Amino acid sequence: MNPETMTPLDSYLRDLDLLLADAQQAFNSATNLQEVEEARVEFLGAKSGRFKAVQKQLGQIPGESKPVAGQNLNRVKNDIQAALDNAKQRFSTESFRGQPDPTFDRTLPGSTRRLGRLHPITQTINELMDIMGRLGFSPAFGPEVEDERHNFEALNIPADHPARDPLENFYLSVASQQHGNTSLLRSQTSTVQIRVMEKSQPPIRVISLGRVYRPDTADPTHYPMFHQMEGLMVDRNVTLATLKTVLKLFATNYLGESVPVRIRPSFFPFTEPSVEADYFWNGKWTEFGGAGIVDPNVFKAVGYDTEQFTGFAFGLGVERLCMIRHGITDIRDMYTNDVRFLRQF
Amino acid sequence: MLVSWNWLHDYVQPEIELEQIVDHLTMSGLNHESTTLEGSDFCIDLEVTSNRPDCLGHLGVAREIAVLTGALLKKPDVDLTSDGQTAVQKLCQVTIEAPELCRRYTARVVRGVKVGPSPEWLVQRLQTIGIESVNNVVDISNYVMLECGQPLHTFDLANVHGQQIIVREPRPDEQILAINHQTYSLQAGMCVIADAHGPVAIGGVMGGAESEISSETKDVLIEAAWFAPGSVRATARKLNLHSDSSFRFERSVDFDGIPWASARCAQLLAELAGGEIVPGMIDIFQPQPPREAIRFRYSQIARNLGIEIPVAFVKSTLQGLGLTIQSEDAESLTCLPPSWRRDLSREIDLVEEVGRIYGYDKVPDNITVPLTSSHKPQQTRVLERVRDVVRAAGFDEAMCPSLLPEVWSQACSPWTDSEPLVSHQPMLGVLERGSQNVGAVNCLRRTLISSLLEAKRINEYRFNPEIDLFEIAHVYLPTGGELPQEPLMLGLVSGRDYAEIKGVVEQVCREIDPATTLEFIDSELQILEQSRSATIRIAGQVVGHLGVVSPGGKKAFGLRQPTTVAEINLTALIDQAVLIRRFKSLSEFPAVSRDFNFILSDDVQWRNLEQTVREHAGPLLESITYRETFRDEQRDGAGKKRVLLSLSLRSHEDTLSGPQVDAVCQAVVAACQKALGAQLVS
Repeated sequence: MNPETMTPLDSYLRDLDLLLADAQQAFNSATNLQEVEEARVEFLGAKSGRFKAVQKQLGQIPGESKPVAGQNLNRVKNDIQAALDNAKQRFSTESFRGQPDPTFDRTLPGSTRRLGRLHPITQTINELMDIMGRLGFSPAFGPEVEDERHNFEALNIPADHPARDPLENFYLSVASQQHGNTSLLRSQTSTVQIRVMEKSQPPIRVISLGRVYRPDTADPTHYPMFHQMEGLMVDRNVTLATLKTVLKLFATNYLGESVPVRIRPSFFPFTEPSVEADYFWNGKWTEFGGAGIVDPNVFKAVGYDTEQFTGFAFGLGVERLCMIRHGITDIRDMYTNDVRFLRQF
Repeated sequence: MLVSWNWLHDYVQPEIELEQIVDHLTMSGLNHESTTLEGSDFCIDLEVTSNRPDCLGHLGVAREIAVLTGALLKKPDVDLTSDGQTAVQKLCQVTIEAPELCRRYTARVVRGVKVGPSPEWLVQRLQTIGIESVNNVVDISNYVMLECGQPLHTFDLANVHGQQIIVREPRPDEQILAINHQTYSLQAGMCVIADAHGPVAIGGVMGGAESEISSETKDVLIEAAWFAPGSVRATARKLNLHSDSSFRFERSVDFDGIPWASARCAQLLAELAGGEIVPGMIDIFQPQPPREAIRFRYSQIARNLGIEIPVAFVKSTLQGLGLTIQSEDAESLTCLPPSWRRDLSREIDLVEEVGRIYGYDKVPDNITVPLTSSHKPQQTRVLERVRDVVRAAGFDEAMCPSLLPEVWSQACSPWTDSEPLVSHQPMLGVLERGSQNVGAVNCLRRTLISSLLEAKRINEYRFNPEIDLFEIAHVYLPTGGELPQEPLMLGLVSGRDYAEIKGVVEQVCREIDPATTLEFIDSELQILEQSRSATIRIAGQVVGHLGVVSPGGKKAFGLRQPTTVAEINLTALIDQAVLIRRFKSLSEFPAVSRDFNFILSDDVQWRNLEQTVREHAGPLLESITYRETFRDEQRDGAGKKRVLLSLSLRSHEDTLSGPQVDAVCQAVVAACQKALGAQLVS
């Protein structure tokens, strides 16, 4: 716009905008309260502030333009004031964060809603399922009350085997019936192997986890109810080397570092060869669990072709792993359910 | 099995050190427990699995060492010529009346024995493995047992009435005074060794005092026999009489090795106790079916063990273990197992034999196992969610025994009227100190509630504050069929009030299926209060129970503090679980909230009110929130309550206008008034 043709109002409005731009620039670029104050005196000083000067010029505006000029004057004043406030707030802790409260104790405990804890056995089981899941083993389930076929016969435990002694098992009957039928609380999770193989064909990779029962009197290391994890893998070309490899991977996962694993001969009716697996941990060989190649008689019991398929099975006690993991010394504590115990895990 | 290191050297002289030997034994199946120095000898403790009774004697262990180290096995020479039975038959007779309990019974006689102390070397060997010397005759029979694993019994022939041995089941009310000077009542199924008067020994378990060897004994009758494992096990258990003999008979002795043991005992009695062996041996036995030869394909080694083993090693191992190779070809051999290895009858058994001697340490632990995917079953996923919810609600997870005493079992059974399954054996040692007088723990639980009430009691008595427990486990509901149903339950016990436990139950059910509609109806459970209790239904099916434990229920379980319980049948919910939520579009318009304060009769339940409101509020209804109930009898009259609730209304199309909101409110008020007699407080 040509200055020659500018009306007094135009000129006044231009001055106002310049003033506002300068003021905003000054307030926004101030780096401390001192500079803010200097800018305040320069622009909003009551005696010789630049705003005061512009305000005085309002009198020279022709009457018909005065309302417009006045409105803009007000707008600019407000905007400059806002810029000042903004700048002040930037540097004033108190106005920004509020008054300090010397009575406040920031170390008082936080208020929480109490979270329940999972039983250490559940935590151990979850860990085991997780590791075995990564190795391709899916959970399988079976009943805790079993018949003799699944708990014994199909597992190659014949009728005269000591493991079937009535004193070694929880055989069951209905109270009103005198004659006992032949159901019992399962003494091992291997029963689930049979149920899985009865229903499905190889390849199989499953784990079963759950409660098992043997009539030991409870003491610090025994309880008549405990948990087992049983793993079963059936396919073509499953060998003792597959078993050892899987156990090694399992131990490495569980313990968090690669540990030596060994297998040594043992005896179980449902595996042949049967082995005990140990891992070397904290300077000694620690028993891990029993394992072996699935006995051909077990395959025959479920109708698998022993010339086509081989498999391995392993079983381990969850309580022992859990007790080592958490430093628990008396198995009975795990089933007393004292909340002071349960809340530790 | 305790083994003397010096003694082993009679049969095998390995060229490696004791430490390596025991490592070898551990890695081939005889787990080494410990070695202790006993004088100038070592006592080695080896764990012998039940399939290896042949290793319950030094010779068996020596055979293992010989095979493992390539050393020679030397078995003592024994004169087995029995010279007919004539001479010995003149001195005694043997009859087996119970062949199922005793398949073989042999008797030898050694005359003119001088009973006295054993020679020093014999005393020491026995001492090394913890056996006290008695006299030379008894020591020798123990020695032979520990040498070859065949238990022997020696009788003073003079005290065997009628010089008759009858192997039979006991007659009614028969008793025996045993060597330990205890009297035992004999029962059917036990095996008795009797003379003309009565029992002189419990077969395979213990001898009788009357015929035992004494300083007076001159003529010794040596018994070497095969007793049925099951009967010996049952007898030893019933009489609580466990001995080195019964231990071996329970695992079955070597049928064909019996004559050797008998002759060996006679030989040592002659050598060390100055006796004269009467020629011949009485030998009564059931003929055994012949052992079948086993074909062993070499390919089965790699197929089962994942390693190759040289054929030469296979053959020498099998031979070293006592198998006789009958024939062979390029792929296989056929062999006959020795009588002392009843555990070897199949090809796979030989795979194990060869493998364990070759060494499982040679089996690799880093082969490539094909990758496969696993899946997490719905049940596992649901349980994870449920545990998350109850944990977040502040409940700690309990685990209780699956068996209960009858009194607790009878006190509460929400799911069935059938009697519980009962275990023939009780669980021992599982009751807490405060609960010792509740009877045998033998009922399979039909609910988790009883167990959790006991768990709460234990915590109350230990002055633990804030007891909130949950358990997830199966219960056992008899069906009349062979196996019970085992639904999976969630049980809760708490000190909180009805509303709070109901809230947890609702959250659990909605976690499993957010659209689920729960119905709370009257509960008939005696252990719950009449009013503050409910049975929970989904689509007409009972899925749970909850409530405040009644005064009678608290008394039955010894509880002092306010207690609430709940139990949900998770099995009933798992199949309906909706674990993957569907997105619903969000309205971009604000919600409007309106409060209503209705005066209602006490018999109008929240669910009636909620249902009426829901049905009449129309599509703009977003949610109904219960606020509170209060009573003002003076203003509203008796039997009336005021229920305050809020509605949230929202449209997906527009910001709601005043008239729209007012229309909904009027409809709601009118419907509640008409259907429920509700009066709006303005």
